[in-house]
Amino acid sequence: MSAMSNKQAERLTTSFKFIILLIFGVLLMSPFIWMVSVGFDRTANITMPFPPRLIPEEVSGFNYGIVFENGRLIASYINSAIVTTSSVFIGVSASLLAGYAFSKGRFKGKKLLFIVVLCTLMIPMEPRLIPLYTMFNSVGLLNTFWPLILPPLINGMLIFLCKQFFDQLPDTLREAAQIDGAGEFRIFFRVYFPLSGPIAATMVILAFIWSWNDFMWPLVVLNNQDLHTVPLYLASFSLENGTSLGGLTMALATVSVIPIVILYLFLQRYIIQSIALSGVKGE
Amino acid sequence: MAKNSVEINASSNPSTDTSIGFETMRQKKRKSQLTWYVFLLPSFLGILLFMVYPIVESFRLSFFQSNGTIENFIGLANFKLVLTSATFWNSVWNTFFIGIFQILITIPLGFIFASLINSTPRGQNFFKVVYFLPNVTSIVAAAMIFQFVLHPEMGIVNFALEAVGLPSPGWFSDPSTSKWGVIFLAVWHWIGFVIIICLANLQAISPEMYEAAKIDGASGIQQWFFITIPNMAGTFAFLLITGWIGALQRFNEVYVLGGPNGSPARSIQTMGAFIYERGFTGFEFGVASAATYIMFIIILIFTFINLKVSKMKL
Repeated sequence: MSAMSNKQAERLTTSFKFIILLIFGVLLMSPFIWMVSVGFDRTANITMPFPPRLIPEEVSGFNYGIVFENGRLIASYINSAIVTTSSVFIGVSASLLAGYAFSKGRFKGKKLLFIVVLCTLMIPMEPRLIPLYTMFNSVGLLNTFWPLILPPLINGMLIFLCKQFFDQLPDTLREAAQIDGAGEFRIFFRVYFPLSGPIAATMVILAFIWSWNDFMWPLVVLNNQDLHTVPLYLASFSLENGTSLGGLTMALATVSVIPIVILYLFLQRYIIQSIALSGVKGE
Repeated sequence: MAKNSVEINASSNPSTDTSIGFETMRQKKRKSQLTWYVFLLPSFLGILLFMVYPIVESFRLSFFQSNGTIENFIGLANFKLVLTSATFWNSVWNTFFIGIFQILITIPLGFIFASLINSTPRGQNFFKVVYFLPNVTSIVAAAMIFQFVLHPEMGIVNFALEAVGLPSPGWFSDPSTSKWGVIFLAVWHWIGFVIIICLANLQAISPEMYEAAKIDGASGIQQWFFITIPNMAGTFAFLLITGWIGALQRFNEVYVLGGPNGSPARSIQTMGAFIYERGFTGFEFGVASAATYIMFIIILIFTFINLKVSKMKL
């Protein structure tokens, strides 16, 4: 009898928890839901609908038409894509090599050099902003993509994650290859690189998120509107128009958010794992 | 490795005498050492060019009056100017205020929701995906949306507040509430990260501890207080550090919401925005460099305090 009521109480708390989680989830999602709804509302192009409503009064793609017509959004997407793929490729390649060397290498100064890498984690962007700006200015590379592509060459976090991954792989693999007379590069590319899939995926995801959302540094080096990345275009649109163009702003926000959301929904397991991995290291 | 080289030498030319064997071994070792440096070359080129040089150069610049072309040595005048500037201290206050409340709200709230998710048998993955979604959207787009969400007249938050009879604040249009608007946005954006990190670490706590507690007759709440929370201390410390360092560098969302001077009335101008305003709208590179160094030192101090307090080993 008491076991029965215990079970019932347990079931009750479980459903109670579930409902709380659901309500909080809806609250977190409500800005997105409202954003999509306002974007599709024809009347929002003139004044924001009030009181706020979930279903648009007059559903139309009008706002989206304007967002695409102007062409700057698509241009900024292309710019972001160029910058992100190049910087991710450079950063991940360099970090794979360095992480592998710090894990499997035997050379003088290994510990010291690794401490140098860890120290870079403590250096924020702000104190480097002005010298980097004058540096790229002096070689005439302002208002090009190079200032966004080259500095991600060094990424302490990626090197750290990569070293930890290779630490888990056994040394016996390289010993076997070494006996066959393979050089270090051969060993890396033939033996360890093919095994690095999981960590490479994590590194690509993290580097992608960092580069895609980067804002302060691009804002400093890209004055030319034609070169603006997605966050820069959004910010300039928002600062120009404030809250005067509700429907348009929401449509623009939707279009800027949706591709990332779709990518996230497809890769959510890996993305969440990657974030957790970069966080668990704090333990 | 050394042992292996001997073996390789021994197996490849067993007839050579040992002195030659040692000679080639040493050569081989030196050559393989050099190869390792080649592996490190790209990253350390990056460290020299994009980390060491800018940090040193920025330190030098902070003693100069400079607009990028003309430079005059002026000693500590830039530091004096920044440290006596009410605008700078205002930006420090704004940064700290927003950061402290963001952390005080998000970590406990995120931990509670992570615990709830962890203890529901159904839909764990669904909730994870939903709660983390705000964090994958760029903070710039999020700030753009929140201008409307927290709009005093047409926003959904004030609409809901009025509907239940609560006072409706002016949020970003009023200097006395604008910081709370940024905190609201920051909590919304960061909570998914806190939840994911908490969940990963909650699931790493050994189930045996809970079983032992259950046998001793501890209730669910008791287990939470006496097993879960103490075991999460390291995680909280990590979140505190990353959260605080991120908060000290806050720039993107306040730039979108209030421009480089953090309107209304500089109420949301952060340290990052102060540096941007001085450096790239005023082109006072010396002043901006001094400010970045002060900020850098503040960040370092807090990193070390956090490390000490949480007794974390790095």
